[in-house]
Amino acid sequence: MFGLGIVKGLAITLKHFIDTFVDDAKYSFNSTTNQKAFESRQGTSGIGLFTIEYPEKKLPTPERFRYIPFLVTDYEVPLHDPALDPNSPQFNHTKWVEAHRFTQEKWESLPGYTYEKWVELHHCTGCGICSKVCPPQCIWITQASDPKTNKPVSKSKAFYIDLDMCMSCGFCAEFCPFETIRMDHDYELADFEREEGHVHDYFRLTKPISYYATIRPAQAAQDEADRRQKAEDEKRKAEEKARKAAEKATAEAKSATAAPPPTADKPAPAKRTPEEIQAQREAMQAKKATPAPAPEAAPPPAAEAKPAPAKRTPEEIQAQREAMQAKKAAREAGEKK
Amino acid sequence: MSHNASPHDEVPAELAQNVWLTTLAKLDPIYNWGRAYSLWPLTFGLACCAIEMIATGAARYDQDRFGAALFRATPRQADMMIVSGTVTKKMAPQIVRIYNQMPEPKYVISMGACANGGGPFKEGYNVVSGIDKFLPVDVYIPGCPPTPQALLLGIIRLQEKIKGQSLATVPWYREEIPLDALPMPILGPDIVAPPQLPQIEELLAMARAGQITDLTDIGTKPKPKHPPKAPKPPTWDITPTAEATQLAAEINRALPAEAVTVEGNTLIVDRAHLVAFGQHVRDTLHYELLSNVTGVDYLGRTPDRFEVVYHTYSISQPQKPVLTFKARCPEGNPEIPSLYGLWKTCYLQEREIYDLYGINFPGHPNLKRILLWEGFNGHPMRKDYNEAYFEEQAKPFSSRHPKGEHFRAEKNNPFGRNVVYPADWDLAQWQAEAEESIQHVIDSRDIKQHMDFDTDRVVINIGPHHPSTHGVFRMVVTLEGETIVDLEPILGYLHRNHEKIGERNGWLMNMPYTDRLDYFNSMLNNWGYALLVEKMTETTVPERAEYIRVIVGEMNRLVSHISLLGFLMNDLGALATPLFYAFEVRERVLDLFEELSGSRLMCNYMRFGGVAYDVSTDWLARAEQVTASMQEALDELDNLMTGNEIVLSRTKDVGVLSAAELISHGVTGPLLRAAGVKYDIRKVEPYGIYSRFDFDIPTMPDSDLFCRFYQRVLEGRESLKILAQAFKGIKDTPPGDIMGGKASYTIRVPAGEAYARIEHSKGELGYYAISAGATNAWRYRVRSPSYINLNALADICKGNKVADAIVALGATDIVLGEVDR
Repeated sequence: MFGLGIVKGLAITLKHFIDTFVDDAKYSFNSTTNQKAFESRQGTSGIGLFTIEYPEKKLPTPERFRYIPFLVTDYEVPLHDPALDPNSPQFNHTKWVEAHRFTQEKWESLPGYTYEKWVELHHCTGCGICSKVCPPQCIWITQASDPKTNKPVSKSKAFYIDLDMCMSCGFCAEFCPFETIRMDHDYELADFEREEGHVHDYFRLTKPISYYATIRPAQAAQDEADRRQKAEDEKRKAEEKARKAAEKATAEAKSATAAPPPTADKPAPAKRTPEEIQAQREAMQAKKATPAPAPEAAPPPAAEAKPAPAKRTPEEIQAQREAMQAKKAAREAGEKK
Repeated sequence: MSHNASPHDEVPAELAQNVWLTTLAKLDPIYNWGRAYSLWPLTFGLACCAIEMIATGAARYDQDRFGAALFRATPRQADMMIVSGTVTKKMAPQIVRIYNQMPEPKYVISMGACANGGGPFKEGYNVVSGIDKFLPVDVYIPGCPPTPQALLLGIIRLQEKIKGQSLATVPWYREEIPLDALPMPILGPDIVAPPQLPQIEELLAMARAGQITDLTDIGTKPKPKHPPKAPKPPTWDITPTAEATQLAAEINRALPAEAVTVEGNTLIVDRAHLVAFGQHVRDTLHYELLSNVTGVDYLGRTPDRFEVVYHTYSISQPQKPVLTFKARCPEGNPEIPSLYGLWKTCYLQEREIYDLYGINFPGHPNLKRILLWEGFNGHPMRKDYNEAYFEEQAKPFSSRHPKGEHFRAEKNNPFGRNVVYPADWDLAQWQAEAEESIQHVIDSRDIKQHMDFDTDRVVINIGPHHPSTHGVFRMVVTLEGETIVDLEPILGYLHRNHEKIGERNGWLMNMPYTDRLDYFNSMLNNWGYALLVEKMTETTVPERAEYIRVIVGEMNRLVSHISLLGFLMNDLGALATPLFYAFEVRERVLDLFEELSGSRLMCNYMRFGGVAYDVSTDWLARAEQVTASMQEALDELDNLMTGNEIVLSRTKDVGVLSAAELISHGVTGPLLRAAGVKYDIRKVEPYGIYSRFDFDIPTMPDSDLFCRFYQRVLEGRESLKILAQAFKGIKDTPPGDIMGGKASYTIRVPAGEAYARIEHSKGELGYYAISAGATNAWRYRVRSPSYINLNALADICKGNKVADAIVALGATDIVLGEVDR
């Protein structure tokens, strides 16, 4: 019969209309305030009213949600207001997020603030990997330098992200080797100007680790474990080095004074002895010969080396990491020439 | 608005004394209340952000709760413009024109990084660094893209601003503040803002007098310490393969002269014999589908600097491997005969090469610029073309680290914008030719009479901001009465220079850019690109990652098809209801994608050799539930529309085009299968693990609009079949094993070339790249199905009514991010 198709279609829209009330009845027609109703309707399936009453109600952000990057610091910010305590029943999420939008003034107004301490506790080492991997190149970093020697130190002095270029891809967070740059959940950023407000500087970007642990708990826990592991590795490596040095010292008792200082503290690049430089150079050359990119160069050693990764000790990993970093520094230095 | 933009305007002293005005000011709360809650937005979307804007208007976020979702189709009835997405130079004049047509009071929300300041595409030669260069903006919303809730907050902010205004000071009631129309930008050698003309003239005069050598050099642009090295054209092993040699010998016997030589597995064809060669390939060797045509610039190679690469496939004998051939031409005489006579797909593809590389194709019926405009200065894909914001040949830029101080590229450009003008440009003599050239094309056509009685021919313009063009696409339609006699698609309003930026990016950096091609299908876009690089680096993908790719890919395909059904009904006049139903299930899938990858739209989920994150058992369980609800939604949409008499009468036997014609046009995907051709890349050239799944290639017989619409329903059902098998299969794979090879951000791809293609929801999505062995690609090309399917649009529409053109375009299923790239 002509027109039956239209009637059938209208029946479907009518069903949608009725469904809403049927589902509402389940929650005694009080579904707007009922959390269970909200979860069921916003879940994988579910009938009835689908609307989220933003801004009164907000869709929860999943852990991996990414918006604008931020930087993690160990500098703790005391928050005494119960509305800003995630464990308190009076917790107000919006207020809490707002409290974590910092400016230079806001950091400076904190009791006991000094810039030196702030930088010291900051996780960022200024390695610049985030700015190198950034597809639209929206990250600018100035590496800090020692005021006395003028040599670069592993801290950032300036850090900028241009929000009007950032594509929220999350690569910076994915490839950050020091668990510092992470993707924020704060999407409520609409404002009236962009000239200043949309360039987030070092202070604006930095947020305390407690904030990070609240928005991305699983990742923060993982990061914490990684950092502990790294510290342990470093400690063990230092011990190993000391032990080897001691052995060497006993074996070569006659030239004990000339032995390079195998101390646990990191040797500053400026103070490296010629022997060390030579050793590092050799290590670099050895490294250059082995990796995969040049398969025709030396396939047998590569094949031998392959099974190693699974069985590598933490020391080896650390050593390799250091060698790689040195190699990269050398390559960059070469590029700049 | 924004003539005095502060949200808390004070009443000026001389006005404060005016008794009448101060009395009026007491009415402010009522006056502002009325305006704040009746914001009528203009139906107007530019790019990816527009999809989030549609989602905001749909049921879940319900913009209407703020009195701000009565999307108006005409600027005359609207008072809020949401600039949602990348503003290109080609589109900027249209945006200003629309803004001028809106009555006061009017407000502008700039949505997303691109509209704010150019976004990730800022460096591109066709991108405006922020709509605030041309329009006064009230609220900026950062994000790429802003989530719907972020957009809602933007609207709330605008309402706050309105509530701070006063009747006494608002400019539209004060005679001393003229409310003139804003000057329209002009498309010259680059985009020109009329107020800047004197400054441009002055700088050009200085350049002509020899005071400045390079106009881009003016300013304080940080220079790299060392001048960039001249790039070396890539070379790789080109020892001929046995099969290619044999094929070349066969072809050479058939052709008049030794026209074909062999390099690797590609045939190099002497351009003098290209047409005869093409004829032989098509008719004797049965390579009916010319899938991809693209130009390559080997800057520094002599004698033949330019090359055109053709990828052909056989539809009648699908087991035949790809046949790649190339034709070369020198810099001084860049001419290659057009193959339009053999394959109509060359209409758009050769025009693109002409536009971007400046290679001429004698024999092409209408060799005009396509992505840029007539009169644009230069051919931007040439290796020696540098944009106004050019910094270095390859990323990362040295100005970012270790001495990175933030700067805005426009601050270092003498014009303060992303523009560069040729020094020999004579403003006095110059006339913009962008619009005239379109008119010229239409006038010069020999249009045959379709009707028995005489009527005047009318040329009407649909787009580029028309609500039914699915983005910023323009059709210039010549009508006789209501019947279409000719249709000319005009593109480039969203040309974001994906390929140019892609050749500067590191290999991995292109991954998030592919998200922004077809912003409905980021998972599938990622997959195609990952496949290309995996092919070039010979990376294997672990089994679990392959399953995850199939799951997310097929879910994405289903969502794309379901959304299309909603949009198509919208085009037919079923305003919003089917679309809202479709978007409801889409939202549930996007929630899953967001949980898995971190973003709803721009997933950036795949990596070379795997995927970025593993799926949890819990996620898989919920994905299965969502798949079940997608099944329901598909059935419901089917019931809602398939039997509907209005839908049937509008779509049956409308827009018919034969399979042979479609193949000649290069059309692939659901459109081709709706013409009865069983051609699906998942079957003929299975990638990933598709060969393990049991599914059919559905087809429809008639190749009309109804078949194209119903084809999507059928394909959705096959995707459901694949998903059910994938959910079962993934259970046997070890969790965590998702990455083959190491996760590294600087990969070097061995020198060489490759073409990889996948079955995208819209057709064949192909990626072609040439590597010179560096960390970035020498040539990076996207063969986008939407763009090439548009070839057939004119032939589909001819002879039908103008209202059918809208539906025909809807059934072609284009996404402008992918069309214009």
